Amino acid sequence: MSFLEKIGHFETNLSKSFTDIFFFAGIVLLRMFRRKTYSSAMRSVLVNQIYFTSVQILPVFIAVSIIFGSLLIGIVFQLLKGLGLTGFFGNVLMGLIVTELSPFFTVLLITLRSGSAINTEIAVMKVNSEIKTLETFRIDVIDYLLVPRVINGVVSLVLLSSLFSVVLMFSGILFSKIIFGISIDAYINILLNSANFSDIVIALVKCAVFGFFITLIPIRFGLRASHELTSIPIAVSGGMVNVFTAIMIIEVLSLITKLF
Amino acid sequence: MNISLIKQYHENMPMAQAHDIAITALQRLGLEHIAYKRNPSLNNEERFCVMLLRAVMVRDAIVIIDRPFKIIPHLNKINFFLDTLKKIEDFYINCHIYDYKWMSERYGDLCH
Repeated sequence: MSFLEKIGHFETNLSKSFTDIFFFAGIVLLRMFRRKTYSSAMRSVLVNQIYFTSVQILPVFIAVSIIFGSLLIGIVFQLLKGLGLTGFFGNVLMGLIVTELSPFFTVLLITLRSGSAINTEIAVMKVNSEIKTLETFRIDVIDYLLVPRVINGVVSLVLLSSLFSVVLMFSGILFSKIIFGISIDAYINILLNSANFSDIVIALVKCAVFGFFITLIPIRFGLRASHELTSIPIAVSGGMVNVFTAIMIIEVLSLITKLF
Repeated sequence: MNISLIKQYHENMPMAQAHDIAITALQRLGLEHIAYKRNPSLNNEERFCVMLLRAVMVRDAIVIIDRPFKIIPHLNKINFFLDTLKKIEDFYINCHIYDYKWMSERYGDLCH
């Protein structure tokens, strides 16, 4: 195969993969807005999924948020003081840390924990013919298995990212007092003045889009597993690589959106 | 849990109600202790009973058992299957068992 053929082959596969993911995303999105989808069985799965993703992770997530958030805030504030940019700390806190780093940090954590778990779970179900059994009983796999996981991704990402932002802002109170000698009232005042409503909306939409794709892509790749056990690691690694690519694409798109 | 899923999905039955029906059905077969076990931890008899209960959860169920001795190979007689079916006969309308002709001796008088 010549070099040009290799490029062509790569491009063809890439466009096929994109088309497949977006077509699948369209189907799942339509089902999300259909009343019939929300059966008793689906609601049970949704509650369980939210519990596994958002509630079980809380102790670890809060601990990591406090440690990582305090470290980040401390370094950034110290740097701003060193550069003589104390007046911009509110803009940096809201514009960079709350609306950019919080969603990014949260999506990485949830992808590593839940994205990989969902990918493996679906691939194992495919290998064990559990999905075929569900279809035998006329249980719609998209409604019962996929939609709850995707909704859970959206809800969890938005909530956990907001929680991370809140933890960061609380860390900010402590560090602004130590580093800049700013009182709580002044700190809150600076934060409110620096908060840009459109940035917060973009951050929340970005979280929702992150949540949608970090669950949808692992599911899609999990469903691609064959009936052989050896197809599980292939499906999982393929899914996770594509999830990280999607995270980067969404991040870039959100930055472009902010420019306009 | 997989047994109650059928009622939850097709009849939109609340989880607690569907769960009670599944537990009652398992109790009739003396298997309530396996309610929260997963498939790999069940023995052949238990797995057959779960498959059967899952099948009869469908409304107006007509049960078709294809080669039962393939599911529980160590059994020599059909009695276990018949006893199990008898215990839950009000859950289904009709039941058909299919198997190869050379297995007829395991079915005794039932074979036709």
